[in-house]
Amino acid sequence: MPAAPAVGQPAPFPERKNAEDGVALSRWTMSYFVTAVLALIAAEGLMLAGIGYPHAAIAAPASLLLVHLVAIGWLSLLMCGALFQFVPVLVNRPLHSNTLPLPTLILLIAGLAALLLGFAQLGGTIQTPFGFFPAAAILLGAGFVLVLWNLGRTLWAARPLPLPARFVVVGLCSLAATVFLGIIFALVLGGVATKPHLLDVTALGLPIHVIAGLGGWLTFTAFGVSYRLLAMFMLAPELEGRTTRGALYVGTTALAVAIVGGMAAICTTTNVMWPIGAGGILGLLALALYGGDIQHLYRARKRRVIELNSRMAGVALANLAAIVVLGIVLLLAGRFSDHIGVIVFLVAFAWLSGFGLAKLYKIVAFLTWLECYGPVLGKTTTPRVQDLVTEPRAQKWFALYFVAVWIAALALLFAMPLLLFRVGVGAMGLATIGIGIQLMRTRRLANVAPALRLPKGTQPPHLLHSSVQPS
Amino acid sequence: MTPEASEAFAGQIKEALRLVIDPELGYNIVDLGLVYDINVEDGGVVRVAMTTTTRGCPATGYLKDGARDAAWSVPSVEFVDIALTYDPPWTPDMMTDDAKVHLGIV
Repeated sequence: MPAAPAVGQPAPFPERKNAEDGVALSRWTMSYFVTAVLALIAAEGLMLAGIGYPHAAIAAPASLLLVHLVAIGWLSLLMCGALFQFVPVLVNRPLHSNTLPLPTLILLIAGLAALLLGFAQLGGTIQTPFGFFPAAAILLGAGFVLVLWNLGRTLWAARPLPLPARFVVVGLCSLAATVFLGIIFALVLGGVATKPHLLDVTALGLPIHVIAGLGGWLTFTAFGVSYRLLAMFMLAPELEGRTTRGALYVGTTALAVAIVGGMAAICTTTNVMWPIGAGGILGLLALALYGGDIQHLYRARKRRVIELNSRMAGVALANLAAIVVLGIVLLLAGRFSDHIGVIVFLVAFAWLSGFGLAKLYKIVAFLTWLECYGPVLGKTTTPRVQDLVTEPRAQKWFALYFVAVWIAALALLFAMPLLLFRVGVGAMGLATIGIGIQLMRTRRLANVAPALRLPKGTQPPHLLHSSVQPS
Repeated sequence: MTPEASEAFAGQIKEALRLVIDPELGYNIVDLGLVYDINVEDGGVVRVAMTTTTRGCPATGYLKDGARDAAWSVPSVEFVDIALTYDPPWTPDMMTDDAKVHLGIV
């Protein structure tokens, strides 16, 4: 084996700065991903079964159960799992703790289960005196505090932060606001909190909770991650110019106006829609700046033939643009509040879930490659990351997914028979299962040519967690 | 070691490093332009300066170890030092024409 450098030898290549050896594999990210995909399939199953919106009012307990299964079970777990791996990549520093993500996941799953049971209790589906909402507030609060602590410490140690990481910081601040409001709602719904101003927050704070969650935590964080991942995967220049800084600063201001201003409005009994409206206008400007940046990334890419994950991320980003246009048209027509459910559905499934599934398809292959073949690199011939996937098989499922989302959304938008909505969400579920099977094949190395699949010194990876094999 | 012998030895090391691929781009690190310098010295001492396509990549440690192991596999190598550097940062222009064609880069 290589010997240590001899004492007194000149440092090699002194004109070049040494750099870090990269970051480690996140051990529990795969567990987050598996749980998240199962939650998405479960949510699609509930919609197919006619549970929650649009078969019930958007604020009905069954709809809230569905929304939180998607927002926490699918999107937040997906985002947390991805951030535990990619925040270190963004800042080129190791994760503060590689052991905390497991107890964090357990707390989040337990908290989500309690929250869903709380909504079922609220709707009269289950009859028990147990206080599910307070339990959910404690468990989810603890879980997300651990997320914020672990990622926050990682980011804090890496200052000054590159621009994409600053988007993540704003996203994490929004997560804190979302969780803070969510805890208040849960304690009020659970009958634990009865102070009048907390009742006011619960009665009026829902739009702020939704904006902080879908807009700040999930969308703004996805923006930050997309700047780096799209540049990496398409060999495009990393953007750090005026438009990117503009998107960050204007977007941050938009969120601050909507969230902080909205809370202040509730506390001072001012109309909460004023700060939300002002935040919305600023948010549109931030979206325009981000959209311009992303168009530039795709146009300036060196890789002309891009992989499925980048193509499908492009579809999700185009969906985001379409949602913005639809929102503006509905606002101008005075019909926005009538169709708020469609907008939320599209943000959750056409934009966030579409982008999430596209990146998941790449990240699972990349992490599996690192785990399985990284340790034997240089010792034997290894497959490429692309050899772990079969894009034509997955592409048809992605196409079905996006078409199905729009069928379901258009059925809602034009008040078509709910059967058409169910056909749409049924097809979404089928497509998600199809994509999930492709992810499983990737994890099982089923797409790799048998001669290359398991070279000497490698072991098949576990489905639920990553273990670093000795090199 | 004569300059000719040194050059031939460095060529052997370079060939061995072609076993190491960048997993994301799926091409060997030599033709991707990730190997900046190969320096051979008397006594089988090999010093390699290399980079990665992006800072903070989780594959960085594996790429470095892989390059070390590949260089070590060449007969007569007694010592390998792999120095990771981001100065200058890698750009796609550093690829060979073959690598660019393989990746469909215009």
